[in-house]
Amino acid sequence: MGKEDSDNGKYKTIEEKPVKIDKWDTAALKNALDDGAKKVMLETYGFTESHALTDGRLLICTIAVGFAMFALIWDYLRPFPESRPVLIMCVLSYFFLMGVLTLYMTYKEKGIFLVALEKDKAKVDPDNRWELASTLRKYDDQYTLSMTYTDAASKKTRTSQITKSVASFFDENGVLCMDLYQPEVKMLKNNVSVSKKE
Amino acid sequence: MGMMDFDFLDDVRRMNKRQLYYQVLNFGMIVSSALMIWKGLMVVTGSESPIVVVLSGSMEPAFYRGDLLFLTNYREEPIRVGEIVVFKIEGREIPIVHRVLKVHEKENGTVKFLTKGDNNSVDDRGLYAPGQLWLEKKEVVGRARGFVPYVGIVTILMNDYPKFKYAILACLGLFVLIHRE
Repeated sequence: MGKEDSDNGKYKTIEEKPVKIDKWDTAALKNALDDGAKKVMLETYGFTESHALTDGRLLICTIAVGFAMFALIWDYLRPFPESRPVLIMCVLSYFFLMGVLTLYMTYKEKGIFLVALEKDKAKVDPDNRWELASTLRKYDDQYTLSMTYTDAASKKTRTSQITKSVASFFDENGVLCMDLYQPEVKMLKNNVSVSKKE
Repeated sequence: MGMMDFDFLDDVRRMNKRQLYYQVLNFGMIVSSALMIWKGLMVVTGSESPIVVVLSGSMEPAFYRGDLLFLTNYREEPIRVGEIVVFKIEGREIPIVHRVLKVHEKENGTVKFLTKGDNNSVDDRGLYAPGQLWLEKKEVVGRARGFVPYVGIVTILMNDYPKFKYAILACLGLFVLIHRE
């Protein structure tokens, strides 16, 4: 109890508090490592995040829920037998959109959790694109982080990835040690950058 | 105070607007999926309540209290003596599951029928609206086509102890909202 009190007093914002998660929860592990990599890319290198991919997913989900709510309200206002055609349309649209969502997440998102744009300082050329994707299978400890760089001018892409056990970044209490993780992310970025110069 | 720290809420505090919206959407999608499956069943079976729970023992030994019934309500199929129908009396909310005893049918298809529970000693005229002696097709919710025993006890419990139902729903809802995929 006392330790938590002193911890909360030490950190002024939630951003500064070290990330502590349940070390046996694979989803939490992946999310924590993804967030850490995001932090490194955006804060250390000053890239701006592009939300296009996430917004696409949010839009599909919102439309699907919209259809469901519309069906609910329509059926409430005009009880069952009359509402049949509207219900059929809403149910079919909903499950169709669920299919679209699955396809979107499998083929368009592909595990990408960050699209960062390296803005050109002269604001003349288009931005270079950095994409971060990761995989961590359920109940597995091997976390794979892959970085893809797309040069705006030459349109060429360069990819590199590292695979490490999650045990190398988390301590026994489930706290993410950024001092161990940050150099790995930076090294990955340097790998990608160095190769592009060739 | 140490108790108010609630470390598990840190995940939520760390979320940006988009992630918070996605958590709410996630909850919405789970509710919507259940809703759409229910409405889909309504459309496929033609009944406004395709799954009902048997609430009384008036149909023993065929159905016991707590059995789950699957209904269909295809208008073209005629109502025949011996079929088990679920009907709602006008002005009453609770549907009744009983067997058809007598049927009077006109050539144009309009029917009037009388029902009785297997385990009851008298027919249902005492249950109908005052002055009503026969049931009509429009009061039928559906015909029983299949059943699953005992499963409906959960629904009966939730209706008898509504606080229990709200507590479970609240916990599930909170869990979905807070937990990140």
